[in-house]
Amino acid sequence: MKVTKHKQKLEVILESDFNLNAVKHISSLMKDRSELSIDLVNARFVTSKAIVYLHNLMHADKQISVRLKNPPKIFFELLKTLELHEVWNLEEIVQP
Amino acid sequence: MEAHLYLEARLKMVGSATDFTYKWCVNMGFDKDDAARMALAVDEILTDIVLYAFKDETGHIELWFQYSFSDIEIIIQEKGEPFDPDRHTYDPDKAIKENDFEGASLKSVRSMTDQFLFLNRGKDGKEFRLVKQFDSVDIRERLPNPYPEQQEEEQDDDSQSDCDYLITPATSEDAEDISKLIYRSYSYSYSKEDLYFPRRIEMAIRHEYKFGTIARTESGGPAGYFAVLKSTDSMIGEVGEAVVSPQNRQRGLMKMMLKSLIEMSRQRGLLGLFGEALTAHTFSQKVNQKFNFKSTALVIAKSPKRVFKGMDFKSTENVSVVIDFLPLTRRWKKPVVLPEQYTDLLNKIYDQFESHLYIPTKKTKSVTESEETNLELVIHHENKTVLIIARSIGTTFELSCKRMFRSIEELNLLSIYFDLPLGNDNINVAVKFLKENGFILAGLMPLFHEESDYLRMQKLMTDMDFENILTYSDMAGNIKETIIEEYYESHKTQTEA
Repeated sequence: MKVTKHKQKLEVILESDFNLNAVKHISSLMKDRSELSIDLVNARFVTSKAIVYLHNLMHADKQISVRLKNPPKIFFELLKTLELHEVWNLEEIVQP
Repeated sequence: MEAHLYLEARLKMVGSATDFTYKWCVNMGFDKDDAARMALAVDEILTDIVLYAFKDETGHIELWFQYSFSDIEIIIQEKGEPFDPDRHTYDPDKAIKENDFEGASLKSVRSMTDQFLFLNRGKDGKEFRLVKQFDSVDIRERLPNPYPEQQEEEQDDDSQSDCDYLITPATSEDAEDISKLIYRSYSYSYSKEDLYFPRRIEMAIRHEYKFGTIARTESGGPAGYFAVLKSTDSMIGEVGEAVVSPQNRQRGLMKMMLKSLIEMSRQRGLLGLFGEALTAHTFSQKVNQKFNFKSTALVIAKSPKRVFKGMDFKSTENVSVVIDFLPLTRRWKKPVVLPEQYTDLLNKIYDQFESHLYIPTKKTKSVTESEETNLELVIHHENKTVLIIARSIGTTFELSCKRMFRSIEELNLLSIYFDLPLGNDNINVAVKFLKENGFILAGLMPLFHEESDYLRMQKLMTDMDFENILTYSDMAGNIKETIIEEYYESHKTQTEA
C-alpha cells in the first residue's frame, strides 16, 4: 500500500483488493484526519466490509470526506446490491 | 485441474486465497470480471469464518476448486463455531437508518454467484458452496435454424464406409465445428447442453477433461464427433458425446471413431470406459452392447424430465440411465468382500468381465475397523441430484450419514445416490443402514472412485413408473427387477411406518 500523509488528508494507493485487511490498515493510519482518498487502480474488487467502513466514515458524527479513484466495475455492482448506490453521492465520491 | 487449499484461519491468509481463486478461475475459462466476482465471494466467506467461526481461536479452512463444463464450484469447509447464515438477513433500511449491516456479506456472496449453499454437517463441519456458470456464447443463438429436426441417432451404422473420411483427434480449434455439428444434427434436442457452447468445448479439450475424435469429409466439413469425458476421481472415462451428421450415417463412421477412441483411451492409461445409456429408449444400450460394453447398474432419475425433440418418442419421465462398462485393463481386481445381500447379483455382473478380472484367492489386506468415516458430497445442481461417496466406512458411519442427510434435507432433490466402497468389511452394516433409510440398489460402479469398485445405492425422492424404463441387456433387466422389488418393498415399509 502506498501512503501519502497530509495533515488533514490520507492518500492511499492500494496494491491489491479493498477488503478487511486493507480496511484495518487504512483505519490505523487515519487518526484524526478528515479526508481520505483511495486509488483502487490495482483492486479487482471491494468487499462489503470495505463498503461498510467507507459508509461509516461518511456518515459518522464527525464526517470524513471520502474520494475514490479507479474503482472496479464490481464495486458499483456491490453498492447496488446493498442498495447504497442512491445514498452515496457517487458523482462527488468517485473521481475521474 | 481441480485444486485444494488448506489454510490457517487468519485474516492474513485471505488475500493469498483470493489471489489463487482469481487466477484459477481465469485459467479455467472465466473472464476477468467473473473471476473477480468469485474471488470477492471467497473473500467474504473467508473473512466471516475468521471473524465469527474461529474468533480468537486457531483453526483451518479448506477450499476445493472444482470445474465442470458448465460451471465452477468452490467448496469452503471449516470446523469452527457453528453459525447459521440464513439467520443473518441483510436489510437495506436497517443499514441506512440504523447502521446495521448484518447479513451484508452473504447478500454480497449471493449476488456475485449463481448459486450459494450452506450445509451444516454438525461435528463433520460446515460447507459453503459457491457456484458460478460460464458465460459463453450459445451456438443456437448464432445460427439460423433451417435444419429439420432429425429422427434418431446413429444406431446402425456399421456398414462399410463408401466415402473417405479423415479421422483425427479433436483439438480446441475444432470446438465451433463440433457445436455446429451437434446443432445441425439434433437441432435443440441433444441431451448434453454443454455441446451448444463452443467456448465450453474449447476449454474442456484444452484442459484435457475430454478428448475425442472428429471425422471430416474430403472437403473438410465435420461429419462426426465422438468423445470421452475423463473422470476426475478415477482413471476411467465416459463415452459421453457422440454424433454423426444425418448425411454421413450408415457408413460405419461411428465404429471407426469408437475404435480410434478406445485406442486413445488406452494410450492415456485409462482403465475402462463407461456409457450412460438412456432408458427412455434402447438405441444407445444396443450400441454399447455391440461394442462389448456390459451393463452394471441402473441409475434412476438422474436428471429431470426432458422432451427429446425430433425423436420418435417423448419421454415424460425423469431421465434414467443404464451404466454400461468396457474394461481396458486385465489387472482389474475383483473385491474379496461383497455385501451379503447382493453377492449373487454382483457375482453375475462381475462374471461378464471374467477375462479382464484378477480374482485374489484370499484376502490380501485386512481392513481394520476404524472410527473414521469419510463422506464426500457432490451436488449436481442442474440435475437436482447429489452423490455421497463414502471414502471410508468406520464405526461412525450412521452418525455421519445422519448429519449429511440433515444438511441436504432442504435441497429440492430428485434423487440421492450413495457410493459404498466394495471390499470394506463394514459394508454390510452400511447397506443395512441405507436400506432402512429408504435407499435401494443401483448396481456396480466399476473403478469409479480412486480406481476402486463401488456399490451404488439410490434414494428416489419422486414416484417412479418403471414401465417407462426400458432395458436391453439381460443383466440390465436383472438389475431392474431387483430395483423394482426393493422400490416397492421400501414404499411398503415407509407406508407401514
